[in-house]
Amino acid sequence: MSTAADILRVPRSRISPGWGSALVGLCLLLAAVAPFGLNGYALYLLTLTEIFTLVGLGLNFLTGYAGQISLCHAAFFGVGAYATAILTQKAGVPYLLSLFAGALFTTAIGAIVAVPALRLKNIYLAIATLGFGVVLQKIIFEWRSLTGGGGGLALNAPNIAGYDLGATGLYYLTFVLMTLGLFGAWNVSRGRTGRALLVIKDSEIAAGSLGIHAPRYKVIAFAISAFYAAIAGGLFAYLVRYINPESFSVGLSISFLSMVVIGGVGTIGGSIVGAAFYVIVPELLRGFKDAPGLVFGLLLVVVMVFMPQGLWGMVRRLAGRS
Amino acid sequence: MIANLIVGGLAAGCLYAMVGIAIVIVLNITDIANFAQGEMAMLTTFFAYWLMDSLGLPWWQAVSIAIVFGLLQGIVVQQVVIRPLIGGPVLSAIIATLGLNVVLNSVAGMIWGHQTYTFPSPFAFSAPFMVDGVPIAVDSVVNIAVGLVIIVCMTLFLRFTWIGLGLRAASQNQTVARLMGVSITRTSAIAWGIGGMVGAIAGVLVAPSLFLDTNLMGALLIKAFAGGVLGGLNSLIGVFLGCLALGVAENLAGAYVSPSFADATTFIVIIAVLAIRPEGIFGRVRVRKA
Repeated sequence: MSTAADILRVPRSRISPGWGSALVGLCLLLAAVAPFGLNGYALYLLTLTEIFTLVGLGLNFLTGYAGQISLCHAAFFGVGAYATAILTQKAGVPYLLSLFAGALFTTAIGAIVAVPALRLKNIYLAIATLGFGVVLQKIIFEWRSLTGGGGGLALNAPNIAGYDLGATGLYYLTFVLMTLGLFGAWNVSRGRTGRALLVIKDSEIAAGSLGIHAPRYKVIAFAISAFYAAIAGGLFAYLVRYINPESFSVGLSISFLSMVVIGGVGTIGGSIVGAAFYVIVPELLRGFKDAPGLVFGLLLVVVMVFMPQGLWGMVRRLAGRS
Repeated sequence: MIANLIVGGLAAGCLYAMVGIAIVIVLNITDIANFAQGEMAMLTTFFAYWLMDSLGLPWWQAVSIAIVFGLLQGIVVQQVVIRPLIGGPVLSAIIATLGLNVVLNSVAGMIWGHQTYTFPSPFAFSAPFMVDGVPIAVDSVVNIAVGLVIIVCMTLFLRFTWIGLGLRAASQNQTVARLMGVSITRTSAIAWGIGGMVGAIAGVLVAPSLFLDTNLMGALLIKAFAGGVLGGLNSLIGVFLGCLALGVAENLAGAYVSPSFADATTFIVIIAVLAIRPEGIFGRVRVRKA
């Protein structure tokens, strides 16, 4: 948990670039040695935070950069989880390979979902993607021979090159993939695609007149976003070792979206902070007897009322002022 | 058989439509999709239950008081939560309503627990009407009648009263509306009040058939959004007809396609419709000059 607090400290890096890289390095270092100082449950929470960070990065790409709302990310997350689990468990494909195969499969689904979504905006898009989420979840539920239906799938420990990955092993795998994911998101968002998406978000007409093929970039945004969610899903399946279609409901999609907004839309740091907020705050609130939901909901409202730009936006503003 | 399914679908559709109207009135004025609408209605329904169960009020009185409570609740929520958010990013306001949704749910859970209650209905034991040999349950008729009354009243209200005119002006162009002397904060409070009131009516009508618990309105809220989008969010009639169509489609898909795929089938239809008409069936396409 000390690590999450340190992640929150990153924004001071805005003060000067040299300090910035030093602080990012420090955070990565702390995250790298975290398993030696944490007990099993805290390690589980930290792994979960990193997994949700991956989802957040992907969703932020779609919502923050391209301005598209998606309520089917839980389904992408679930398809990734099931594809990885089924390939590994039933077809005997090595874990890492099935993780990426599952993610590519989900990417294709993401691109397909994007096609009808091209014509839709705002809440219409939200409902259409919500529909896709319901349909995908239902397919997982009803395809009993492959997915085990409502009974779910119990999974063995993942195995890479003959070694069984324990909690620590899985943590490091997640950590490496999250770091790669952060690096990838940072690059893509500053590159041609990221800039094109920012223009599309502001005005599609302006984008068109600049020669940006908006539909193509929207499909790319959906595909990348689904890829991130699916990798996260594949990791999640083996973190909890038991998956069931109920876990990937619309409610989870809504949580993903609020994670991104709470953290700060359109910022990479926001994905991390939002994920940490969603995983760690409910844990801290366990002390309140009946009221974890009440306090968490109030926090959501208060954060949004006082920091409409999200936690990361707030921190950034404070750092900019000092 | 098919007539039965259609009437059942219409009755369910009218309930979706009430929640849908509540959502759309708020959405058109403030651009905020109110995810707390369902829980607001749930809380109001629990309040009605408490009035009947603890204070022993008869059904009519309890329900009337609860509807007024719904109205006040909407105004309070708007003043406390939404007003500070006007002018900020819309997505933040939507997430705030989501937070409110969680708050209201756990408040109800703390007061009444998470068990289910039976909400009384004066129509539960009446003999069904027979129309042409088809038995029609009385509460279906009541749902449909109340739905029709609400849509007619709302249409008249929006068309022929000064307040309604102000609401319509504010939903079209807030700057111009303000120049014409329409107070945006007041209109928005009125919209939230109406939303709370209509939601309360839906809650009281849906509770007897679903059992009253803290998750009463969850599914209804999603269906209302979906039906509204299907019809087109910028006309009340569109929302009403969209929700009715959704209710009927759901019932027919459940009976003739596959009961377990009823939801999925409905959503496939919605996605197909949206792919062809992105603004919903009755929605007007707004030409945007950007």
